[in-house]
Amino acid sequence: MDRLLRQLTQLAITVFGIVTVTFFLVRMIPGDPAQYMLGDYATEEALATLRAQLGLDRPVIVQYGLYALRALTGDFGASVVTGRPALEEILLSLPDSAVLAFAGLAIAVVIGIPLGIVTAERQGSWSDLLIMVVALFGISFPVFWLGLASVLLFSQELKWFPALGASSGGGFLDQIHHLVLPAGVLGISVAAYITRLTRSAMLEVLGQDYVRVARAMGVPQRRVVWRLALKNALVPILAIVGVTFAWSLGSAILIEVVFSRPGIGSMILKAVSARDYQLVQAGVLVLAVAVVLVNSLLDLAYGLVDPRLSTR
Amino acid sequence: MANPNPHPGLSVAPPPPVAPVPVPRPVALELRDLTTVFPGDDGPITVIDGISLAVRAGGTLAVVGESGSGKSMTFLSALGLVASPGRVQRGEVRIGGADVLGQTPEQLRRLRGAVVSMIFQDPLTALNPVFTIGEQIVEVLRAHGHFSRAAARTRAVELLARVQIPDPARRIDDYPHQLSGGQRQRVLIAMAIALSPKVLIADEPTTALDVTVQAQILDLLAELQADTGMALVLITHDLGLVARYADDVAVMYAGRLVEVGSIEEVFSDPRHPYTRALFRSIPRLDGPVDEELPAIEGQPPNVARLPPGCAFEPRCTLGRGRADCCTKRPLPLAGDRSGHRSACFHADRLDQMEAAQ
Repeated sequence: MDRLLRQLTQLAITVFGIVTVTFFLVRMIPGDPAQYMLGDYATEEALATLRAQLGLDRPVIVQYGLYALRALTGDFGASVVTGRPALEEILLSLPDSAVLAFAGLAIAVVIGIPLGIVTAERQGSWSDLLIMVVALFGISFPVFWLGLASVLLFSQELKWFPALGASSGGGFLDQIHHLVLPAGVLGISVAAYITRLTRSAMLEVLGQDYVRVARAMGVPQRRVVWRLALKNALVPILAIVGVTFAWSLGSAILIEVVFSRPGIGSMILKAVSARDYQLVQAGVLVLAVAVVLVNSLLDLAYGLVDPRLSTR
Repeated sequence: MANPNPHPGLSVAPPPPVAPVPVPRPVALELRDLTTVFPGDDGPITVIDGISLAVRAGGTLAVVGESGSGKSMTFLSALGLVASPGRVQRGEVRIGGADVLGQTPEQLRRLRGAVVSMIFQDPLTALNPVFTIGEQIVEVLRAHGHFSRAAARTRAVELLARVQIPDPARRIDDYPHQLSGGQRQRVLIAMAIALSPKVLIADEPTTALDVTVQAQILDLLAELQADTGMALVLITHDLGLVARYADDVAVMYAGRLVEVGSIEEVFSDPRHPYTRALFRSIPRLDGPVDEELPAIEGQPPNVARLPPGCAFEPRCTLGRGRADCCTKRPLPLAGDRSGHRSACFHADRLDQMEAAQ
């Protein structure tokens, strides 16, 4: 209970920090929202009126104070483009992005963790070397490049999967069909990372005394690796998954753009080019809170894995 | 030529007045010419070189030597536990008369824990921190088959009681960090004796524990040995423990065996200069307080760069610079299971040589 309270306090502080940082970051984007909305031929008078209407004529620090106060009540302003509440716009497109990010992460975990374990077990063998080289390529290639390459191969040449869209209105199977390629690209690029880090976490555990003891007591190699060692490596592995979740969200944004999928990513991109401050702020905030939430949940999970980390 | 009183600080149990004719007990574990190498920059490095030893059922063999002398490596090699890229180059490991080194990894695994068990130096790191001690004992029991989950747990409670853990039915669900160092070593002993092995190898079992706990653990081992008739190998650098618990002693230096014998023989008449130096470096309660403790001069040898002759020659007060010691390599001690043997060329003349200095 105490632990939960601590987590919640941490979460609140983090959210406040995020609100502050995004507020000022967004205002560092060059360009004037009023100018953007009214076009190049707007009169000085019209621009001034609009700025006053949006509150942009006041000092930035006052704008920040007002924004923070309203944010406390859950009001993150309205999108200047659509006029609807920014937070609502973002939350409506959250499921699309979440599906992509979680599908990608799931693929990454299912591929990356076993590969990391197997390579650690066979450290120095040719299969270890091969997988590590492939994983290095996976990390080195930018995710948008992998996305474009996979579109060329699997959509243009082989015509196995559609290249664009999410088929949001279509049937379940159709949606899955549209998800395979983007989630696969995301999953593979994250899997490369998870593989390498799982491998090093396992290598460290496999060098511990208690592993040698288990072997000296005749516990079979498979039990030693997949049960006795793995549970110890799980805390660092969970931490890695937490970090890669943030990374998958970031990559999901790029992938949404490459595959023209709806989602927070494509929405933020449009909002940035429209200087839609409120929408950008709400979008970044939602993504950041998602990352913090997932990591807080993982923090709680550590205690389940390692009894020394749980408060009794 | 026996030295009458070379080290009065150590007490060796006096031989019984009328020695009964002992019936030789069967050899439980025998090593013959065991040699393990690791790859090095200039060819393989021999970390243990031609080790031949035997332990009889019910007997206790102490293996002594400084850190890095190959004591632990000898027995890790015997159990097929040498970490890659090291490997056993040659030799035999006989358990119950059969050579086990040629066996498949799976056959070796079945022997480990069930026929030959090993406990290690540091009980604080030897238990898996994320499993309860019960789960860890059950894991060992089930690794060797024939136990249902419930039966294994019942047996684990019995084992914990056997190693004198108080309230075993409750403590079985504790995690290692909830136990003291001595209790953890007891848990490890429970794991090691879980399948009634014929040989228990204890690799410095008390080095990490404080002195009062040391005696408790060793007494427990001696008691278990008396009950089960298992052979005990005690790897240690504590000569006091050797005198108190062992029947035979093997002295190692730089991966080689330098002297083997019963403790009466070795303690009353050490026949290797290294063994003699070891005895001299033991602090004594009855000695003068301000006397400087004689240490062995020089550095422990680097097994990758041993001199061509006797490995101890550079540090030996008797043999340093002697032609034979510098050039001739001592033969590995033969594994003939009995008798007092020394690898020193001058084993028979050490007293005269010391007197002449």
